[in-house]
Amino acid sequence: MGLYIGDKMMKYEEWSKLARKVSKKSLWMLHFCTGCGAIEMPPVMTSRYDMERFGIAPMATPRQADVLLITGYLTVKTLRRVIQVYEQMQSPKYVIAFGSCTINGGMYWDSYNTIKHLEKYIPVDVYIAGCMPRPEGIINAFIKLMELIDEGKARGWEKYQKYYDKYKENQRRVFNFEIEGENEEY
Amino acid sequence: MKSIELIGKGKEMHGRAYIEVMPGELEDIIKKLKENGFNHFVMLSCIDWLEEEKFELVYHLWSYEVKEHVMLSVRMNRNNASMPSMSHLFPQIETYEREIHEMYGIEFDGNNRLTPFLLENWHHTPPMRKDFDSEKFVGKLYESIPFIGEDENEGI
Amino acid sequence: MDMIGMAITIAILIAYAIIGSCVGLLFMGIGRKIIARVHNRVGPPFYQNFIDVAKLLSKKTNISHGWIFDLALLFSISGILLTLLFLPIGGVQLLSMEGDAFLILYLLAIPALGFALGAGASGNPNAGVGVMRALVMMLSYELPFIITLIALMIYYDTTSLATIVKMQSINGVKSWAITMPPFMLAAFAADMALQGMLMEQPFDIPVAPHEIASGPMVEFGGKYLGSLMLYKAIALVAETTLFVDLFLGGGVILHGRFAFVINFFVWFALIFLLFVISILIAASFPRFRIEQAFSFYWKYEAIIAAVSLIWVYILVIK
Repeated sequence: MGLYIGDKMMKYEEWSKLARKVSKKSLWMLHFCTGCGAIEMPPVMTSRYDMERFGIAPMATPRQADVLLITGYLTVKTLRRVIQVYEQMQSPKYVIAFGSCTINGGMYWDSYNTIKHLEKYIPVDVYIAGCMPRPEGIINAFIKLMELIDEGKARGWEKYQKYYDKYKENQRRVFNFEIEGENEEY
Repeated sequence: MKSIELIGKGKEMHGRAYIEVMPGELEDIIKKLKENGFNHFVMLSCIDWLEEEKFELVYHLWSYEVKEHVMLSVRMNRNNASMPSMSHLFPQIETYEREIHEMYGIEFDGNNRLTPFLLENWHHTPPMRKDFDSEKFVGKLYESIPFIGEDENEGI
Repeated sequence: MDMIGMAITIAILIAYAIIGSCVGLLFMGIGRKIIARVHNRVGPPFYQNFIDVAKLLSKKTNISHGWIFDLALLFSISGILLTLLFLPIGGVQLLSMEGDAFLILYLLAIPALGFALGAGASGNPNAGVGVMRALVMMLSYELPFIITLIALMIYYDTTSLATIVKMQSINGVKSWAITMPPFMLAAFAADMALQGMLMEQPFDIPVAPHEIASGPMVEFGGKYLGSLMLYKAIALVAETTLFVDLFLGGGVILHGRFAFVINFFVWFALIFLLFVISILIAASFPRFRIEQAFSFYWKYEAIIAAVSLIWVYILVIK
């Protein structure tokens, strides 16, 4: 597909490069305030570590947002709602995961109700290490996301579309607490 | 202490009154304490004594006038544990009983709101019991779900 | 000849749309910068809203809820463009008729109807609540605005906007309506009504992001939201131009053949001044509830506007 400008035809790669250049300068975030990391968002938004100078603005609904911030641990009950929110967003969309609970379970590594690796259920583009990360770390992650968008490597939404069946299977298993192997009553 | 004088039995433990009660006389005792100034219901907690095979339910009450904390302790059998519901005396007991039903598996007769509270679709043993190994459960469920890998050769 | 005339009209129409949206987007970006400086932070660059609109229009998936939902967009953009055509900009007016001062108020209501349709089609309860509040807000600010409009019409003895602008541009700045004492009061009342028209704080309860999840715009995303942002930009220009035409002489200070250029710059400076005043008020006030806004407009504003109306009537009779 292409776009005619005069006599030249702009190829798809150039058009999408232009679209990416524009979209990295104005990321709109939806912060899904679950868990402990929500307390680190207000300092990033207000006067001291201002994030609006990068073009990032908070938005109220998933239909208007580009970036989903998962700030902390997720229980199975919340994960179901997060998946609904993620599927309501319009592509291209990105996910940033805060804290060590999304990387390997963090403080709740042996809990029966929190999920351990967020990557198995929705595709994540950038992880931020820490418990909780400082506002400087969060802004660093946004800048890293902007660089990834510029190079074309932030392709989480395409991965979700491509492996949709596998993601759905993982989600179904964890929502029903299914233990594989012997169907024992644990 | 005032509650021990009212009921006639019990002992003092760390500044609080501790009274052991049979399940049948619990309701009358709570009513008597409630009429005599113990009108703040603090909490309902549950302890799992695995070796003795008993559940212990502790009802905590507080009186503002004499500033006294009473713990009423009820013991019951661990298998098929059931207890009449006290939610007609204090309305907030309904929510505590709901949580204990979900986490320990105790049936409360008379409470018709024992629906899932914090866990959805849970069909294993109630998780706060001492014979539920949480670490092993995590290994069996969460670690066994596969990562979704991206092949290097396939481009999008 | 007819074809050439029509082609010129269409070209001017497209030029109006582009100039209106560019000026509006520039103002919105500058507004964000001013609010950021009031908050003691750096703020986005002043061309940020252009990037926002470009990003929104380049989204890959655009979720629609049916053809009625698409109509909301059509209503709002076409309504506001039609309003822009009726307004004299720097003395040049594309369409005009008798009584067009009243017609403008009717045309300004069309986008709200479009929002109501879109909100109803999307089926989100937040949208319904937001649209109800937007319509109540519109009802409340129209009353003092109409009273000041009637005061102007009584004084200048006409219902056509072009005549009002012409009579204020006779002597340059000295004959602007705002220099006369009764109209200072009326201009104050109309400025408060303008704050409600622009949906800026303290009157931005219909589109508040934190209270009702953006109100009527809750289901708009992607290309729909981009067009909605363009609508907001053009509406900014149209409403401030209306105020400038009524009270500040439309920015016409020179007459003659090529005076249009100078008048254009004066008009631009005047609407920028108005916009900065409204942004500074917005940066320092919290949000009113809808019943507080309603009682503010119908009690205090209406009294101020009515006082100015009676004053003008006494002046005219004498």
